[in-house]
Amino acid sequence: MKTIKIMVAALGLFLISQSATAQKKNLKLDLNYNYSMPVSGFNSDLVRDHSPRGFMAALMYPFNDKLSAGLELGFQDYYQKYPRQLYTIGKSQNVSAVLSNSIQTTPVLLKAKYFPLTTLFLKPYLSVGAGANIVDFKQYLGQFGSGQTNVNFRAQGGLGVLIPFTKVSPSGINIGATYDYAPYNRLGYKDLSTVNIQAGVTINLK
Amino acid sequence: MKRLLLMLSALAGISLLYTGCTKEPLNHLTSDESRIYITDHDSTVNFANYKTFSISDSVAVIRNGTATKELNDLDAAYINAATKYMEAAGYTMVSNKQNADLGVDVNRIISTTTGVISNGTYWDYYGGYWDPYYWGYPGYGYYIPYSYSVYQIREGAVSLDILDLKNASENNKINVIWTGLIRGSGIFDASVADSQVKALFDQSTYLKAN
Repeated sequence: MKTIKIMVAALGLFLISQSATAQKKNLKLDLNYNYSMPVSGFNSDLVRDHSPRGFMAALMYPFNDKLSAGLELGFQDYYQKYPRQLYTIGKSQNVSAVLSNSIQTTPVLLKAKYFPLTTLFLKPYLSVGAGANIVDFKQYLGQFGSGQTNVNFRAQGGLGVLIPFTKVSPSGINIGATYDYAPYNRLGYKDLSTVNIQAGVTINLK
Repeated sequence: MKRLLLMLSALAGISLLYTGCTKEPLNHLTSDESRIYITDHDSTVNFANYKTFSISDSVAVIRNGTATKELNDLDAAYINAATKYMEAAGYTMVSNKQNADLGVDVNRIISTTTGVISNGTYWDYYGGYWDPYYWGYPGYGYYIPYSYSVYQIREGAVSLDILDLKNASENNKINVIWTGLIRGSGIFDASVADSQVKALFDQSTYLKAN
């Protein structure tokens, strides 16, 4: 965790230094639909089903043709209903219930995108991001629920490709995938990590 | 200006997505799935040591802090179901005048405000509503030897209790040795009473006479 925090700080300092020396450029707005797949502990302990209910939006500042950075905001809704099961609490209490987990995540990330091959029509990119993950977790036994909201750490690595609308257009269609590392330490659960597939548009804001 | 409009449109779109994207769990539960069945018992008790039981002839209806004894079709259905599954567990029903080993009572809890069932509320009410005299032990108090969890009440609940009458004289109090609680949608319906009580007994496999 300490290493990741140092990396986030380094990324922040790098972006600030780049923005101080960069020429004025047009901001870019990324708007993507997000399909999310829980992995590791998130998948085994809380939600098995994939979530088709999500999006992400990012406002990116291009320092040059290859590097852009900015702020990303996302939202994803996860839901899982488990069949009726008998749960033992303590040494003498039994609860029979259908258990439902409802989790909404809102990542707010500092993000950087690197385009290594800008001369090609299709522009592949790598991305990294890190920041906060606002988690709203509700768990229901039958119709009776309890929940809590808190803020956790989140880091992201991804790759994708930008397909420009025309040969010279800075706007285009974006297709990509990310792995999001999302530690969580509440109610005995440890992990909300996901693999995500995204599709959307990158719009040049003039 | 164009940029501002675009950004505002994007923000509006994001807000719509945010509210529209969430799958509401309560909208994806059937009445059956909405129900929970909670049982607890005194783990030091061997239920095979009891042979007979007596059951209350009416239901204590606890409504926002006040209680009445009632016996409508719904109440009768729950009493009949409790009798049926006690007998299925091997216990013999006797009248409350015949020194039964176990006492069984049924309670219906209705609350229009958010309340709590806990040792400190439900059992305070309970003590006043089921007079130990009914079981032939006037002047005795009730005692619950295990920790009774706290449950939020919004729509109501049905509870069943099993009391140790066999050892009341020796203990100088009536121990509550088993509790069952049913909560969820549609439980105040006589046609589902049998299946609701069956669920409590099904998950209490230790509840058997020899």
